[in-house]
Amino acid sequence: MDGALIRKKRKKWDARNWTVFIVATLGLLVIVVFHYLPMIGLLLGFKDADYTANLLEVLLFGEWVGFDHFVAFLQDVDFWNVMTNTLIVNLIMLLLNFPAPIIFALILNEVRHKFFKKSIHVVTTFPNFISWAIYGGIIIALCDQTTGIMNPILDAFGLSSAEDPVYLMDSQHIWAVIIISSIIKTVGWGSIIYMAAIASIDAELYEAAELDGVTRWQKAVYITLPCIAPTITVFLLLNIGRLLSNSFEQFNSLQNAVNLSRSEVLATYIYRLSFSSRRYGYATAIGLFNSMVSLVLLVLSNFISKKATGRGLF
Amino acid sequence: MSIVVDKKHKKRLFRMHWVDWIIYILLFLFAVLTFYLLWYVIIGAFSNGQMYASGGVFVVPTGFTFANFEVIFEDSVFWTSFRNTVLRTATGVVVELVFTALVAYAMTSRHLRCKKAYYWIFIFTMFFSGGIVPMYLLLRILGLYDTFWVYILPAMLSVYNMIIVSNFYKGIPDSLYEAAELDGAGELRIWALIYMPLSKPVLATVGLWIAVDHWNSYMGTMLYTEAGEWTITLQYYLKQLINEASGVGAGSEYSDVVTARTISYAGIIVALIPIMCVYPFIQKHFTKGIMVGSLKG
Repeated sequence: MDGALIRKKRKKWDARNWTVFIVATLGLLVIVVFHYLPMIGLLLGFKDADYTANLLEVLLFGEWVGFDHFVAFLQDVDFWNVMTNTLIVNLIMLLLNFPAPIIFALILNEVRHKFFKKSIHVVTTFPNFISWAIYGGIIIALCDQTTGIMNPILDAFGLSSAEDPVYLMDSQHIWAVIIISSIIKTVGWGSIIYMAAIASIDAELYEAAELDGVTRWQKAVYITLPCIAPTITVFLLLNIGRLLSNSFEQFNSLQNAVNLSRSEVLATYIYRLSFSSRRYGYATAIGLFNSMVSLVLLVLSNFISKKATGRGLF
Repeated sequence: MSIVVDKKHKKRLFRMHWVDWIIYILLFLFAVLTFYLLWYVIIGAFSNGQMYASGGVFVVPTGFTFANFEVIFEDSVFWTSFRNTVLRTATGVVVELVFTALVAYAMTSRHLRCKKAYYWIFIFTMFFSGGIVPMYLLLRILGLYDTFWVYILPAMLSVYNMIIVSNFYKGIPDSLYEAAELDGAGELRIWALIYMPLSKPVLATVGLWIAVDHWNSYMGTMLYTEAGEWTITLQYYLKQLINEASGVGAGSEYSDVVTARTISYAGIIVALIPIMCVYPFIQKHFTKGIMVGSLKG
């Protein structure tokens, strides 16, 4: 084919161009309607929308209040309490829950009996597929003061007693409960991606190392870990971007009146403000603040990672 | 290396170091712990509620009974929420999977112009969203609020799943496409007859993720519905049971053998059975898909 013919072909929109254009645009339409249109609704954060019965009217014609909502929540003790909970829980999770699947994958990698390895993995992955409604229910049951098994266990270690049982779902213990239960639920599933990364490491690296007589510990630290570092980086970046975000269902299912002062995080706080207190404008402002900070965190950590390691999400 | 066929040497290669023993025991204990979480609910579900309430029931049921299940099965709201969840899961999987795969096909097609623009518009929504009040308002305006379709339409296209499927499509040899193109097959026909059958593994995985999400979710019910006849979901119903807020079983013929707690255990078991039944068979698909999608992506 000569150049002229190709150029002519590129210019003309044939049936194939139209088909894929229509399909992609249909997809775009769905995304625009359900993801971009709500962004217009973010203007509610700058309007006097609290307690209104007609949100649309307020959005279109309501009175602008500028950054009043933002100033208000930044001065609100409740907000800072929730913010502290969110940040502390997420930082602990970044320290414990994020490395847990990596460590689990490294440990599982040391298992040489295929059947044992597979069985452990099948069993430990299962909790990931239980809903938070159910899993939360199980945790609540385990921590029950009279019927739960946690108190007899703590009793055995002298940390509780049958007469004066510790209530694990109170504000004092709820963080530990949230963090530990979430590790148990997600560690198996989370490790799949790292196990896949480990499986794709060139076996020659290990063979060469074995000839040099390195120990298993050295192999794990100096070969396996560096080889899966790109995967770790990607997930670390995503996690940093989620420092202000939590699973609504996870926290909602474990909350009760006694632990709310510690278990309220931005995700559930925004829900409560919107649908219980009907402070639509105020809640939207906090939501916008949350999204903006998350986006900045993600872009920033991506930028730093690209500078430092040459790897990033985008 | 450990890949030795010789049986005589096998034993020596698998010689257990004390570190191995620690690893094996720890992993075993962790698996037992995971399993026990389920067992704990099972024994509660088959226990006499009044006897259970005095505590100490950790290994086998006390006062074995099916009453908790019977209370659940006699509750019409349970069947309504069960029906809605089954419908929602089935519809959601079909609609989402077909549409996501179709868009993924267009997004990998060489005939799509301005692909980068589409891509970035899609990707941005993974990292920024309007939040719950604007979404609530939108669903009100669209008339989706408190309808069954509130579960299906907004989730019709998942950008994350779309990227995973298109990564798989990218691995399908161009020669197949070119051959079909020469034969005069249209784009949709090529997608349906060549790409779809070839991408069964990734579609199975993504379909399972979607199914589990639909089966497990209750946030949508809380936020965007009144939990009515066609919108109450199984997980929402269970949440009410667990919070002991539903009053199911109160004043029934079983009220002297059940409590809200043991009824909620029975509800949990009933909701878990479908997942438990399919899980052993589909576990490998979950694993396969995450490798296909994420490592390439």
